[in-house]
Parts: sequence; C-alpha cells; structure tokens
Amino acid sequence: MSDKPEKFIDENGIRLDGRRVDEIRPMTVEMGVLTRADGSCYLEWGNNKVLAAVYGPRELHPRRLQRPGEALVRYRYNMAAFSVEDRIRPGPSRRSTEISKVSGEAFEPVVMKQFYPSAVIDVFAEVLQADAGTRTAAINAATLALVDAGIPMKGLVAACAVGKVDGQLVLDLNKPEDNYGDADLPIAMTEDGDITLLQMDGNLTVEEVNKGIEMVREGCEQIFAIQKAALLERFGTAEEEEVLEDAELQAELMSEEEEVSEAAEEEDAVEESEDLEAAETEDPEDVEVEEAEAMFEEDVTEFEVNEEEAEEEAAEVNEEDIASEPEGEESTEEEGEKYEQ
Amino acid sequence: MSNEAVSRLKKDFIFNLALKGQREDGRAFDEMRDIKLETNVIDKAEGSAKVYYGDTQVIVGIKLQVGTPFPDSADKGVIITSMELNPIASPDFEAGPPRPKAIEMARVVDRGIRESGAIDLNKLCITEGEEVWMVFIDVHVLNDSGNLLDAASLGAIAALMTATIPAEREGRGEDTKMPIREMPVSLTFVNVGGEYFIDASNNEESICDTKVTIVSNQDGSICAMQKSGAGSLSEEKFLKAVEKSCEIGAKIREEYLLNI
Amino acid sequence: MDRKIVIPGQLLSDKEKMAGPGTYVKDGKVYSLLYGIANVKNKVSVVPFSGKYYPSRKDFIIGTVIDVTPSNWIMETGSPYDGLLHVSEYPKRVDSSEMRKCMSIGDCVIVRIKDVSKSMKVELTMREPGSRVLTKGRIIDVVPAKVPRVIGHSGSMVSILKKESNCDVFVGKNGRIWINGKSDDMDHLAAAIEMIERESHISGLTDKIGRFLRNEPEEVAESDADELIEEERSTLPAKEDNVTEETCRKVDALLDDEVDEA
Repeated sequence: MSDKPEKFIDENGIRLDGRRVDEIRPMTVEMGVLTRADGSCYLEWGNNKVLAAVYGPRELHPRRLQRPGEALVRYRYNMAAFSVEDRIRPGPSRRSTEISKVSGEAFEPVVMKQFYPSAVIDVFAEVLQADAGTRTAAINAATLALVDAGIPMKGLVAACAVGKVDGQLVLDLNKPEDNYGDADLPIAMTEDGDITLLQMDGNLTVEEVNKGIEMVREGCEQIFAIQKAALLERFGTAEEEEVLEDAELQAELMSEEEEVSEAAEEEDAVEESEDLEAAETEDPEDVEVEEAEAMFEEDVTEFEVNEEEAEEEAAEVNEEDIASEPEGEESTEEEGEKYEQ
Repeated sequence: MSNEAVSRLKKDFIFNLALKGQREDGRAFDEMRDIKLETNVIDKAEGSAKVYYGDTQVIVGIKLQVGTPFPDSADKGVIITSMELNPIASPDFEAGPPRPKAIEMARVVDRGIRESGAIDLNKLCITEGEEVWMVFIDVHVLNDSGNLLDAASLGAIAALMTATIPAEREGRGEDTKMPIREMPVSLTFVNVGGEYFIDASNNEESICDTKVTIVSNQDGSICAMQKSGAGSLSEEKFLKAVEKSCEIGAKIREEYLLNI
Repeated sequence: MDRKIVIPGQLLSDKEKMAGPGTYVKDGKVYSLLYGIANVKNKVSVVPFSGKYYPSRKDFIIGTVIDVTPSNWIMETGSPYDGLLHVSEYPKRVDSSEMRKCMSIGDCVIVRIKDVSKSMKVELTMREPGSRVLTKGRIIDVVPAKVPRVIGHSGSMVSILKKESNCDVFVGKNGRIWINGKSDDMDHLAAAIEMIERESHISGLTDKIGRFLRNEPEEVAESDADELIEEERSTLPAKEDNVTEETCRKVDALLDDEVDEA
C-alpha cells in the first residue's frame, strides 16, 4: 500500500485525482446486461465496477421468512475475490453482511412491498472491482436494476459519500481519501431528499455533518440525472414507436374494461357476453380482454392510507442505524474495512 | 425454485428436435455459440478475463500471494481454484457455501490447468521450502445460460496468460509474466436423447442426464476428463466425443488464446 | 392521446383525481410507480415495460404442475405465487389416488384463475370451456407486458397468427403462449411471435406478421391445408367465425384513424 499523501487538496482546491471538492467521479451505466435476471445494471464509478441484478418478486423459501402483508426486500452485497488489492475469501463476511442489511433497508421505503405479500424481491450486488465507495455504487446500480425489473417504486434512490481530508469536506471519496481521511459519511436518499441509508465513521463536527449532507444532496442530484438519462435512453428513438404501440394496446384493454363495466353495470349482461364469447371460440383469450392491472388501482388507495405509517417507519430505521453505529466497532470489523469502504 | 420443474412440453420439444438432428437455437450438435473473450478487465487483479459463451457470462480473476509450499512439493508454486454459483447468475442458484455442483466445476477447471502443466510451477518458487507464489484462480459466474464449465476454463487460461507476478509489490524483485507453457481447452458434451451436444444451453442442460467434459492440450493429448450426471455413456459415443474435443479445442485455442 | 416514457417517482399530474393504475398520490399530486408509458385519458395510468405477471381473477393462464398433494395440484404460474387447483375444480370427478394420472409434475395446463385472496392465495379452476391439459405443441414465453400485443386489437393479431400459420394458438395472460400444428408451421409461427415481441412497430404490425407468415411456405401450407384443418377440428371443435374477424378489422380501422388524428 502506498504511503499517505502529504496533501489531499492543493491550493486551488483541486484534489489528487483532479476533482473539485464537490465533484463526483465519472459514472457510466448500462441496463439489462444479464439475460437470466429479471432486471440488471452494470455501473462503473471511478474505478469501481459493480453489477446489480434483481430476481422477483418471487416465492420466498423458507416460509418462516415470509411477511404476511408485504414482500421482503433481500439485498446481497458481495465482493469478488479479485476485486481488491489483497484477495479476499469468497463468501459473506461481517462487513458484507452489515452492508447488505443497511443497503436493503435503503430500498424498503421506496419499493411498493405491499403489492406482493409473502414474496421476496432479491437484489444482488456484485462488486467486481473495488475502489472506495462500493456500497454507494452498488445502491446506484441496484436502483436501476429494480426499475429494469418492473418493480413498482415510489421513486429512485441514489447514494454518495462525503468525507473529510485536510480538514475539508470532500464529496465521493477516492481510495487515498478513504484510507487516510478523517471521516466517511455514506448516505442514500430518495428524490425527495429523505435519507434511507446513513453510516458514518471518523470525526465530524455538527456543522460539518450539516454541510456534508447538503453536499451529498447535490451529489445525488447529479446521480439521479445519470440514472434518468440511462432509463430514458433504454427505450430510445428506435423503439419508441414500439413502446407507444404497446401502451396503446394496453390502454385499449383497460378502456374496454371500463366500457364494459360502465355500459353494462348489471352482472348478467357481462356474463351473457362472456358466454357468447366462449361459445364462439374455445380459446377465449383472444376475445377475453378484461381486467388488466386492476391491482394497481386497488393498491394505490391502500397505499395512500399507509403513506404516513411508511414514512414513520423509514424514520425509525434511520434512527436505529445511527444508534447502532458505535456498537459496530469490533476488532473483526477493522479487518474488513482495510479492504475498502 | 419452481424453475426446476421443466415443463414436459419443453422437454419433449428439445428431445424431438434432437431426433431430427436439430437444436432449439438452430445450431448443429457440434456447433458452439458465439464466444467473446475480453482480457484485462479488472485492474485490481494480476490477470483477468471476461468470457461470453452466447448469453453465458463469467469473469475470472487471478490473484497472487506469497505463501509456503506444500512439504511434498517444496520447490513448486500452489494453484487454488474457486468457483461459486452466485445467485446473481440464475434463478436456480442460492446464496450460501458452494454446493457439490460448484465444487465439482471448480475442481474440473483446476484439473485442466494443473494437469496440463499450463503453469510452470517450478518458476513460481521463490525460496525452496520456504516461499512460493500462490496462484488464486477465482471464477465469478455472472449469467448462467449453460455450459459454465467450458466458459470458466477458457476464462481461467486466458486470465492466467495475461497475469503478471507482482514481485515488486511484494518486495520480491521485478515483476515477471506468468510462466505459461500449455493452453488446455475444455469441451463439455451433454447427452440429450442419445445425441451428444456441445456447448449446451441452460434449457438443454436442464433435461440432460449425463455430461462429459474433456480437456485437451495443444498436441491433441487429453489432460482431464469428468463424467457427471446420473446417466451413462456409451463407449462408442464417448470415444467420438474425445476425438471431437481435440478438433474443436484446437479451433478455440487458435481463435481465442494464441493471440493473447 | 398523450403518451410518454416515464420512470418511478415522476410527477404526472397535479390533480389527485387523475390517479389511475400504476400511479400513486402524494400531497395531492400524482406520481408514477413504474418504468413504462404514461397514458392520459380520463385518468393518467402507467403501463410497465417489464415485470412479472400479477395474478388476477378470471385470467386464463398456462400453468405448470409442480406438485400433487392429496387434494390439490400445485401449479407454477409465472408469477410470484403458485396456484392451487383443487381436485373439485377438475372437469371430472377424480379420486384422490388417481390425481397423478390426470395431471402430473411437468404438465402444462390451460387454467382460469378462480380467485385471488388478499394474501395472494391463487385458486385455479379447470371447469371452464377451453381449459385442458396440453399434451402436444409447444410453449413460447413472452414478457407478460407484451401479451396485449400478441393478442392485438380485439384479438386481430391472434386471428392472423392462427389463420396464416395453420396452427392452434392460445395466449395465456401470464405470457405463456401455446401453439400446436405441423412442426414446420410451428417453427414459422414461433419466429413470428418472436418478431412481434422484438420488432419495432411502424403501424400495421398485424399486416406485417400476416405477410411474414404467408411468405415462404405458401405452397406447403396449401397442400397440407386440408389435413391440418382436419387435425385442428379434432382438437378444437369450435372455431371463431367470420363475424369476429370482421369486427376486428372494423375496430382496427377505427383505431388507425384515431392514431392518424393524434
């Protein structure tokens, strides 16, 4: 390992890698890179290379893990053995287990879990190359993988860290800043600015925490812009016609449904028309056009009621995270942190 | 997972095609999918390769560390191969310690590299009996569309061929290239309705009861084999497969490995 | 009609009462829950690009038997939830010990969803016309979001597929399509369905698919036509009549006009 640099920021306010203190590293994303997964995203951020995939919602085994009224969001953060300078043993460590837990919780407030009782939404984040900030990189990729999988969500989540070097706050720590800096504060937030992941180690004043969160907010704005651009690009010009046509057909299904229910309120009339269809063809599917996606309508009302509750829950989660942070200081943890943040 | 219950119609479809000499994706029995090989994809690793066999994706990273040799081979380096079937790669894989299937695959990849003598292990000795280089071959499976083993094997040798011994970093003199002297190529045949397919898709694998992997060297000799699965092999078909493995192995070697 | 690509969390309307399927309301405003296309009519709704099939009452789907218990067949439905087909929902009276003879693990079955409980217990029935075990043919999987596309305006696409391929076609709402016919015809049809799923649409995909299907095997189709129809009749006594197709064409024309105007 290289020695600690004498200065992290030069007299012009430029960092070792040429960035300003409030600048994030370049980020590129690619959606839908895996064929077996329901949704996937490959993301490079600085020298970080992460791959996120979503499977589900799907049946959850063992049954005792099932939640009766909602889906479980299960997040697995995993580092490839060759992703860091000194090879790490494959499989979960105390560090990766903790990151998995808090990262999964970062998505709980936005994923519409109540649509899928007892099911599981599996999010797998693989760090192929680590270079400071892998947990935030993984969250940024995971958001897009969730969206790609068609999971209903209240909005996107972005994550970014702020830290302190040479007594100054810097956004999105690079490797030396992470290794030798005085503080590291990774945060994930929603587009509304609600914090869904927060961890910290090191030493910061209250004012610095205040300012740090503002810097992260601005960093996340940039990340949201990158995420949105990737999403809008995915079904760009060439395919636009196609997706619009899809929408038209779906809308047709839905409106026919409405018409049916409006025009023929009496159950009998509906039954009759159905019988007629059934008689005409033994494959009722091609005339059977009804009830597409009625589920969302139902569930939205349910959601409105739950809105406040959900937000309270989110706040609780964050409090818990902060409270439990000092306890995490165990000897085994240092071993993990050595590899990378 | 429910995916394990392959629908009978799908099974019948693949079987019936096999009877007519066809495959689901229109390939011939002895036709590979498109292979794509990228090397040096992970800067943090001493060597690395990303391999695509059709939609199958694996990434192999090589890491080196200084360690102590085994007492019975005091002047030789050590190879350690790991392969995990990550849950990211298939709805059928679960998190947790490697299961027999993953361990078997890792060992067959390892055997191909080891028994072919691909690495000159004597050159990995630093001080006899005290210090040698330990070579870690880690296979990270990203997307399982079938035939992970052959993809992993090709990735392993390609990654090794690009690897550097990080002597400077470890304070052991100057960096040198990994001493490679052989390029083993693995080819797996799956038995579907008595016909042997190469480079099987995950659908084909899900209905086959037996497969056999044959790893061949540059001179056409065989360095490792493994029969896997509950069925049996007929001698005649097996011997044909051995022949075929050298022929196709040579093509793959020429196209993807010789120019690294 | 106003349509655009939207992403989760995107503001769609300031008016709470505009909230339709695929949206949610927060502080009196309507936002998208999904990545897909927003449609504004009386309400604003979002149709997703992707996602698993969500079981809905009365849907016809194709399930795969994954287990047989003393009173139920358990079926994989392509959704997060397995379906239960109680022995009493089989068209004939079946003794518990005989259940495996009727349907065993791996069988594909056209079933209808009888009910879905709040906790997502999915109950299936085969006491419906058209419901049956599929012993021949093939299953083709498409993204459930593409199902309306395969069905087409008022079933126009399915009609074309059936007519031009000489195959029998059943489109399950869960994205599983069953086709049956001569092997070559099925190959052709499978390619056509793949084309529907993949190909970008420049209005009149239905015609394009029709042309695609008619193309090369014209002669083969003709010579085998009689035989095939016979075969179809034996498996499928009822066929849709011309009225349905006529109606489809009218609706299509109507819709096309609408598109032109928009």
